[in-house]
Amino acid sequence: MTQQPAAQPTGTPAAKSSRLAIPDLISIGIFTALYFVCVCVATLISALVAGAGTIFLPAVAALICGPVFMLSVARVGKFGGITVMGVVIGLFLFVSGHFALSFVASIVFPLAGDLIARIGNYKNRITILIGYVVFCYGLTGPILPLWFMKDAYVASLQARGKDSAYIDNLFSQISVGSFFVAMAAILVCGLIGGWFGQRILKKHFVKAGIA
Amino acid sequence: MTRTIAARQDVRMTASARTAGLRLDPRAKLYLLLLANLLLFFHVDTRGEAIMVTLFLLPLFVAGRWRTGLRLTVLYFALLGLGLWSDAVTLTGTGSGSGGSLIGMMNGGTTGAGDATTTLATAGHVAGLLSVGIRMMMPCLITGAYAFTTTSISEFVCAMRRMRVPEAIVIPCMVVIRFFPTIAHDYRQIRNAMALRGIAAGRFALVRHPVQSLEFIIVPLLMNATFVSRDLSVAALTKGLGIAGEHTCMTVIRMRWFDWAFMAVCTVPMALSIGGVL
Repeated sequence: MTQQPAAQPTGTPAAKSSRLAIPDLISIGIFTALYFVCVCVATLISALVAGAGTIFLPAVAALICGPVFMLSVARVGKFGGITVMGVVIGLFLFVSGHFALSFVASIVFPLAGDLIARIGNYKNRITILIGYVVFCYGLTGPILPLWFMKDAYVASLQARGKDSAYIDNLFSQISVGSFFVAMAAILVCGLIGGWFGQRILKKHFVKAGIA
Repeated sequence: MTRTIAARQDVRMTASARTAGLRLDPRAKLYLLLLANLLLFFHVDTRGEAIMVTLFLLPLFVAGRWRTGLRLTVLYFALLGLGLWSDAVTLTGTGSGSGGSLIGMMNGGTTGAGDATTTLATAGHVAGLLSVGIRMMMPCLITGAYAFTTTSISEFVCAMRRMRVPEAIVIPCMVVIRFFPTIAHDYRQIRNAMALRGIAAGRFALVRHPVQSLEFIIVPLLMNATFVSRDLSVAALTKGLGIAGEHTCMTVIRMRWFDWAFMAVCTVPMALSIGGVL
């Protein structure tokens, strides 16, 4: 991933090398921009529909980002593409003032997704789908502070002398349950979104000779 | 010839940077972002947080972003007020604190109004959770807003290259920033075309068939994106983006004395409040 693509002198388009050339990087940039727009739309939807449900931001994003991801995999199809996409998103989230942990999540999960999709050589539909679901967990970074800020509030309550039973009662529903619901929602929505993306790909792009 | 043009451009750039108010170096902005993240991580107490937020708000005003700065200031202090009010309300249970005991006596004085006290306490907890939660995000939001509104693309790219970020990250970042306006333009065209055919014409029509509207919008966007990426690749390769070796930048970025000074000024209260001295 950290290789210097400039080492390939004037990488011709559709060069059959396994490393990322300049045209691949530009394609990745464009798909990342589309992905970022989808994430913004997902933020809007999750804020509107679920009220305080920014918890479900990654799930909603997983639902609508499938086509973008599938086409980018079909167009780039080299190791590192998915990872770079995740890293750039993480960078933008970090610069726009999100928690630094979101950056870690957006490196680790896309890298894992990239490795999984690589097993099928970026051709196998099943491995790509699994890779997509793993990739979607990369967006959990922005919502992790929800659990962090709960800790901070609990700490401030404890500092003011509230007993722990009261605090447990206050947060029993919010903490563990919502965490697992959010994670399970990402899994389900990732599967649905990925399947939708692959269907779109087959319906429109394979026929047009783009994918 | 090209050299003189570049030099002239250089002079113009530095001159414009000087007239547009004092702006920090992109790397100093990055350092501020890191500090804000550390603040989130270490749960600094309210006083230290207020000091840091004031420091973070300062460069926004110095750079001449009065509107953004004022809006964020008002938001932060409203949240701070809400938090203090919630402290006062929820403290009635234990009966300590000067501001809280007053309200506590008013409510607890009449024994029949027990329900009112609990509802008030619940409201206080909700307000406190909101206040603490959003206030914790505020330093990150402020520094992020500052970094986003005062950094040009070439400055950003130059700073990334200076920090030896691999080219595999720099190029996609560049493309992302330049491609956003194209997406907005494409989206408008797509909606016009859909309206012409009478698809999803009404106000809530997009929401009524979410899957269909997703497909109808994202497929043309993706189609266009693949063509644009092909064009951009050709253009970039023609301009020599694929050439091996170090690339130079038109914009000059330099760490000046006030960059270092501001970084130091921000670090000291941060370290003190994490260490528990302040």
